[in-house]
Amino acid sequence: MPIVPAELVHANLSIDRAEVQRRLLAGETLLKDTPDHLLEVVDVLKSYGEVLDAYSINLIYQAERQFLNPLPIFKYLDGDHSPAKIWRHLNHDRINFEYAEYCQKAMFWHATGGMDAYFDSEAFADNCRRIIDAKRRRDPLLALLNPLFPGFLPELIRSAATTHALGQFWRVMSDLFLDLAAAEADGRVRSIPAVVEFIKDGLVAAAANPIRYGVSIGGEQLWVLPPEAGLTFLVDVAVPYVEAVFLRGMPFLGTVSFNAQAQQISPDQAQFTYGALYADPLPSMGSGIPPSLLMQDMYRHLPERLHQWYRERTRGEGDVRVKICMSFQKSMFCVTNAAINGTMPHPLNSTDPAAQAANGAYAGAWAQRLGVARTDCLAA
Amino acid sequence: MLLSLLLLIPFLGTLTVLLWPGGPSPARLRLITIAILVLQLGVSLAVASAFDPAQAGMQLQEHHAWVPGIGLDYALGIDGLSLPLVLINSGLTLVSAVITRDIDKRPRIYFAMLLLITGAVNGAFLSENLLLFFLFYELELIPLWLLVSVWGGVNRAYAATKFLIFTAVSGMLILGAFLGLALLTGSVDFSLTPVLSERLAMGGQLWLLGALLIGFGIKIPLVPLHNWLPDAHTQASTPVSVLLAGVLLKLGTYGMLRFGLQLFPEAWAKLAPALAIWAAISVLYGSLAAIAQTDMKRMVAYSSVGHMGYVLLAAAADTPVSLLGAVFQMVSHGLISALLFLLVGIVYRKTGTRDLEVLRGLLNPEKGLPFTGSLMIVAVMASAGLPGMAGFISEFLVFRGSINVFPLATLLSMVGSGLTAVYFLLLVNRAFFGRLAITPPSGDAVEDGRLDVQLAPVAPRETFPAMALAAGVVLLGLVPSSLGRISEVATTALAAITALPTGVH
Repeated sequence: MPIVPAELVHANLSIDRAEVQRRLLAGETLLKDTPDHLLEVVDVLKSYGEVLDAYSINLIYQAERQFLNPLPIFKYLDGDHSPAKIWRHLNHDRINFEYAEYCQKAMFWHATGGMDAYFDSEAFADNCRRIIDAKRRRDPLLALLNPLFPGFLPELIRSAATTHALGQFWRVMSDLFLDLAAAEADGRVRSIPAVVEFIKDGLVAAAANPIRYGVSIGGEQLWVLPPEAGLTFLVDVAVPYVEAVFLRGMPFLGTVSFNAQAQQISPDQAQFTYGALYADPLPSMGSGIPPSLLMQDMYRHLPERLHQWYRERTRGEGDVRVKICMSFQKSMFCVTNAAINGTMPHPLNSTDPAAQAANGAYAGAWAQRLGVARTDCLAA
Repeated sequence: MLLSLLLLIPFLGTLTVLLWPGGPSPARLRLITIAILVLQLGVSLAVASAFDPAQAGMQLQEHHAWVPGIGLDYALGIDGLSLPLVLINSGLTLVSAVITRDIDKRPRIYFAMLLLITGAVNGAFLSENLLLFFLFYELELIPLWLLVSVWGGVNRAYAATKFLIFTAVSGMLILGAFLGLALLTGSVDFSLTPVLSERLAMGGQLWLLGALLIGFGIKIPLVPLHNWLPDAHTQASTPVSVLLAGVLLKLGTYGMLRFGLQLFPEAWAKLAPALAIWAAISVLYGSLAAIAQTDMKRMVAYSSVGHMGYVLLAAAADTPVSLLGAVFQMVSHGLISALLFLLVGIVYRKTGTRDLEVLRGLLNPEKGLPFTGSLMIVAVMASAGLPGMAGFISEFLVFRGSINVFPLATLLSMVGSGLTAVYFLLLVNRAFFGRLAITPPSGDAVEDGRLDVQLAPVAPRETFPAMALAAGVVLLGLVPSSLGRISEVATTALAAITALPTGVH
């Protein structure tokens, strides 16, 4: 007898798999095209873009400037150690960078895509050796730790590499979402299909961007993710990110307890459904994204138009974070929609039966996973 | 004169509300009532400050012959036993009036009845004459019947009639006992004096005390005479439940101490072992029945049955510590049960249900009732007797004072205290934890996981009375000497009176 009610671990089935597959193949958007949806998606992505900007700057700062720092107490300050900044940080007048780290951990732990394959390669081990050699000359603590626990520093370097890659990914996404808001303001984007198209174009344009990461130790430039590794934006970071954060995620501690031994959590990581698309926006601390952190950050950057829209609904300011979370989920379905459209094996209007079958299989595989996501937000 | 004011203010207030010129709106009537009750609370506090806690006997006494032929005197007095209850009455009636909102019909009568009840209860607590007590005891009956039967829930007629029948029987038994006392002693002096009963043979004393015990046992209520209470609570509106649990039940325990223990000390000592067992049965039955409830209000009502059993246990043990514990328990139960009913009322108003099979996750931070839920957890902890709150100190005193006299009954009652934690944690766990839901689970994941759970937010003014009560509960738990100072001398004297003839202690 499971302790956790079914509705907490398995999300909604209001739009079934066949319908998801049909919409994907017909070129329809998953999210229904309404003026309210457009307002919600564009404005929430605008605030998300501003938050991602801060996340991205901080993650890149952490990876480059706090690299292998054994006591990174100032890691959230972006190098500004002024008393005013420290006071604002302690007073919690700040962005919740912990959420960015949560996403980084999810990506690192789920470990899919080309970056993870590179982490296990001999070339990466060589990079690590060079970095550790350079670092241990200056850092007696690391010089002591490394021989005792030879796997420890390489693992920290892998984690730093994921942090940097996520920072680069969010740099692109932040700009894309802010451009989307500008495009909507100009009247270039007027519908949900146009939003999905805009995001798809942005993703496709950035698809081949190289992902590189180098650190400077004592003035010496060393590569962690060198250009030769051939890592690119879409396949090696964006897709693993969607897999780890949108789909799989990690179960949370909260008022709902999960008992892993009773198999309430799948022993197969690939079967996890705790990601953003499955999250319950009612903050019962069930599965999914931790609303309190990201929603609070987006609340700080909410465009006035959307804020006013929220104020007129349900509890107004009282449950604004829940409403942000619901809008955010809608927008994430649009992003997922764009990513699926962008990675479809063949054009949707292809008349070749083999191409159609390949598209059908691809859309079917996605429908299999999205069919149990929180698709109830798509129709409303 | 000060004590007469405690009768004059509410009774004149009743007339004021009834005769207020023009057609005042319900909101205005409410404000007038609140003003009158604030005045009453002020006078109660003045009485408390004029009261000398070092004296054991009745103070601020007033005495006028009224109908000397039948022994009915207007005799008022206050001691350490009645003062806390008068304060509780003034405080909780004010809370009841404050939380009365959206009265849909006959607001004039409603507020008049509220004032009439509080005046009658004051009268009962202050009476030094048995007939006068009975008069006031009966006087609160009809207004309460009206409050349940006119402004109650769907099944209000049934509940109100049941209440009326039970309490009328209670009144008859009490009157019978008082008259019997006069008849058997051949005296028409109904003043409150323990000397009377000593003239009686033990058999007569036992009969009279038995009638009183059943009479007050209905009011308290003790198992198996409790049957009316859960129905009355379930059908009564929140302010009436607050009044019923917080104040009116105390008439029963007060009567038992004042007229049972104090008037028939010898017979009391004889019956005490049986009373202690009765108390333990009442505690255990109330607690076990509470566990089985799915209606939040019924659960709180059954918890009242259990918790009032402690007062009987303490009265049966009849030691200075246990009697002080009885006073503490009356006050803390008044505060805690009023708080619980108030919070259940908020939940009911917002969700439209009190069904524990339906409600889930009300602590939900933004969409639920998080502050109400937090106060509920405070109330539940207080009721379960967690240290630092009123419930702990009263239960501790009751158990500490009783265990040497009746170890078995006390231990059984302590089990009841543990059971309180069981049913209230069930309540909190079911209604306040998990995913927010205010409709019955359908078993369908789509249906049960829906997002459009809409609850109106709770305005600060709605929780303010609950906050005040919660503060009182914590204050009494942290500074028990405040109440102890008022009552200790009186309860010690009460124990001493009864100890003399029996020589038990």
